[in-house]
Amino acid sequence: MSTHETLFATLAVTLLGSVAPADPAQPWTADDEPEESEKAPVEIEDYYFAVTGGDVHAAGGEVLRGATLLAKNGKITHIGYDVEIPGVDYFADMPQEDRNFVTETLDATGLRVYPGLVAISSSGLMGASGDFADTADPFHQNLVLALGGGITSTGASRGVVKLKRYVEHDPPRDYDFGGIVLGESTYVSLSWSGRSPSGKASLREKLTAAADYLRVYRQWEADVKKDKELEEPRKTGVDSSILAILKGEVRARFGADDRDDLLGIARLAQEFGFRPVIKGCREGWTVADELGRAGASAIITPRSRRDKNEDLVREGGSSIENAALLHAAGIPIVIEPQSGGVNLSGIVGRDILHLPVEAAFAVRGGLSEAAALDAITIEPARMMGIGHRVGSLAVGKDCDLIVTDGDVLHYQTFVQYAVVDGELVYDKEKELFYAHIRPRAQGEVAPPEKLDAGENPEEQEDEGDGGEDPGEEGEGEDSGDDGGDEEADEEEEGDEAEGDGGA
Amino acid sequence: MKRPFHSLLPLVLSGAAFASGPGNPGEPGVEQGLALKAAKVLTVPVDGPQVVDNGVVLVHDGRIEAVGPAATTAIPKGWETIDLGERWLAPGMIDLHNHVAGGLRDLNDMVYLTNPGLRASTTITPRNSNVQRALGGGVTSVLLIPGSGTNVGGQGVLVKLGHHSYEEVEIRNPGSLKLAQAGNPERFLFGVGRSFMNWNTRNTFRRGVAYAKRWEAHEREGGEGPAVDPQFEVFRPLYTKQTQVSTHTQMYQVVMMTVLMIKQELGIDVYIDHGTFDGWRAAPLAEAAAVPAILGPRNISVPSRRMIDWTGSNPERIQGVAAGYQDMGHTMIGFNTDAPVLPSEELFFQASMGVRYGFRWDELQSVRGVTIVPALAAGIADRVGSLEAGKDADILIIGGDPVDPRSMVEAVLVDGVRVYDAGRDGQRF
Repeated sequence: MSTHETLFATLAVTLLGSVAPADPAQPWTADDEPEESEKAPVEIEDYYFAVTGGDVHAAGGEVLRGATLLAKNGKITHIGYDVEIPGVDYFADMPQEDRNFVTETLDATGLRVYPGLVAISSSGLMGASGDFADTADPFHQNLVLALGGGITSTGASRGVVKLKRYVEHDPPRDYDFGGIVLGESTYVSLSWSGRSPSGKASLREKLTAAADYLRVYRQWEADVKKDKELEEPRKTGVDSSILAILKGEVRARFGADDRDDLLGIARLAQEFGFRPVIKGCREGWTVADELGRAGASAIITPRSRRDKNEDLVREGGSSIENAALLHAAGIPIVIEPQSGGVNLSGIVGRDILHLPVEAAFAVRGGLSEAAALDAITIEPARMMGIGHRVGSLAVGKDCDLIVTDGDVLHYQTFVQYAVVDGELVYDKEKELFYAHIRPRAQGEVAPPEKLDAGENPEEQEDEGDGGEDPGEEGEGEDSGDDGGDEEADEEEEGDEAEGDGGA
Repeated sequence: MKRPFHSLLPLVLSGAAFASGPGNPGEPGVEQGLALKAAKVLTVPVDGPQVVDNGVVLVHDGRIEAVGPAATTAIPKGWETIDLGERWLAPGMIDLHNHVAGGLRDLNDMVYLTNPGLRASTTITPRNSNVQRALGGGVTSVLLIPGSGTNVGGQGVLVKLGHHSYEEVEIRNPGSLKLAQAGNPERFLFGVGRSFMNWNTRNTFRRGVAYAKRWEAHEREGGEGPAVDPQFEVFRPLYTKQTQVSTHTQMYQVVMMTVLMIKQELGIDVYIDHGTFDGWRAAPLAEAAAVPAILGPRNISVPSRRMIDWTGSNPERIQGVAAGYQDMGHTMIGFNTDAPVLPSEELFFQASMGVRYGFRWDELQSVRGVTIVPALAAGIADRVGSLEAGKDADILIIGGDPVDPRSMVEAVLVDGVRVYDAGRDGQRF
């Protein structure tokens, strides 16, 4: 182990120990400085986080230009134009020691606010393996990079996790590392392949046994209400995970690309009454209607190439239009890049750090921009059973968002800030990796500031007013099929770059 | 749900003007010409304005007859006019590092450590599946080159995509002499190091130049000619600057060696190909020697504290390769794929990622890097690489910024022939 690693590990342990006090509710200054404060400081009860002035891409596809998003204790409470921020719009003159709340604001004027991206799967983002909670490292480099790539939640080896990076706070906050796990694994992997006829037969047997059992069990459920003595039917020979699929508790996930296998899965799903998730699905576009009728969902990589099998007498092989055609057939689409890991070897644009870029290739194939954004936010969240918490910006949901310097599907766009549970966890300018690439212009974007009693409240109010001024007109609609305006945006960006070049 | 082009394009392009089969307007040998009107025409000439808004391109006999604003450019009587509306026009893209236009397995015959006599042209396979898909990505010309298993893998060949026969596709043969300065040839036989590779490469090149000089003297002074040596024939066009050396050269020291040995010592035109890693540190030397830099497939360089001497001059950051060359003052930066390492159709994406990681495109360097820059590097800018009168009609009809992955290539003309049309052929990429 190198010196760096040793130092790093020690640091990690120390910090973790020091910021996870046994009793976080205990005031941190109460007994230490009695002579300075005559009365005991007010306990902090609420943490507010506000993003102001940005173009907020809210749930359902609406874009609120120059709007304010406010979160309280990690949950979104307001999105709109007449949002009053505590400590800014009211209680502004209240001294800090009297406040039972802390407010942080992030000025996103001229920037765009999107939900944090959701990766359906990934590897090594927090150095974790196996039991996530016990092996995850909140200081891992890949965690910072992934946040820089816009990802705030991901499917992991077992379950669904948030990329909740350790952030130092003054005053410190309770830090619950276990809280990052959003949910248990919500799928069971199954196999259905023409290369394994015996595997197909075995799966069909298991499904039949589970379906038979479920029929008997449902009957028993009805009968036992009348006759309490009735014995519950025995589960002998019934696969419990298959049973969970038929009960709708978990989803069956298949890896399949061949047209024939896809049709087989669709028939199986309709016969036994479950909704399959199909990963790969490269020939899905040839049987999109059948998959749609079977209630399938698809996890696809738009650029993934596959030559047509020339033995096939129908159309086949991969198609860049796959995402668009599947989506048109009513199939929920989740997009994942070719690699779920972080690749810094030089070949870029194909790993987990370039999730929106992969989605852009689906747009090339005809998917609307709105659907492409959904495919890396709300659709993977729904597929993993966490759609009620993350994946879109709506009141009541977790305040997980990214602030970008442009259309998130544009190849040049960088994540400027990432926020998880209402905490700023990533700032491009303050990390090593991308700060030198098109740095934010001085003064154009104010750094996030915590509003302490010492700050000038009037100045803050001015900023708040400024964000509501009209003046963001003229930008193209983001509703997808308006290619002309998108291009106009790019031209504008080009002009800006020219200006920077001269400076 | 379907995009407009699915319904529009067949109407627009499959009309009388673009009816399939031979004899279409604009194609070689057809008297009638073709006028393409578009919202934006990215002309990207070497110098001067790079864009014509609301422009028109006149195509006649496989070549571009004129380019200009629609308002002031007269369309000759009897020519077919196609109004492409909001679409853009751009030059066909050029990939100077390609291994898939021919037989991939035939390109890395590691006979000797230097094999200047081997020819990639003998393996050309027009219209193979990789080529067909590359057209869907807007690539119309490639340099098919031997692999980098040896220091000199053989002669590359410059070809167009989309036509049917070798005679139709050849732009120039030899398209280049492929030199792999370092990076793979180390594995030759039982392993060789850089000292020997440099000696051996110089040995081959100096003998080759001497051979070319003997032939030049013979052609000038007459008399009995030197014995023909197929191993060294390629040095004759190299010596007279009719072709170039395309060099797989990546790292700082190796790029310096390329510039010093090939360009400055031997006086042969050379360009950096497959430029990656920290070769950008040698950019000032390359710029001063007029050695173009064609970069890819790796777009970033991330120094590791464990692997690189920590001098403080190289902060721990993600360094764009193209941005590095540009920041060091290099002005001739292009991109390549190294297909099949990256698919041919993703040539434009090399430029996208260059831009993402800091390459400035305020003067359309992103589009130039896949068109006019590689054309200049390979010495074929008189025929391809920009939309200018007199050049081959290799034209992309595209939804928008050619470097944006979202912009689909709707149709491709090569030598005025519609070799790809997403509405007719299905969208290949």
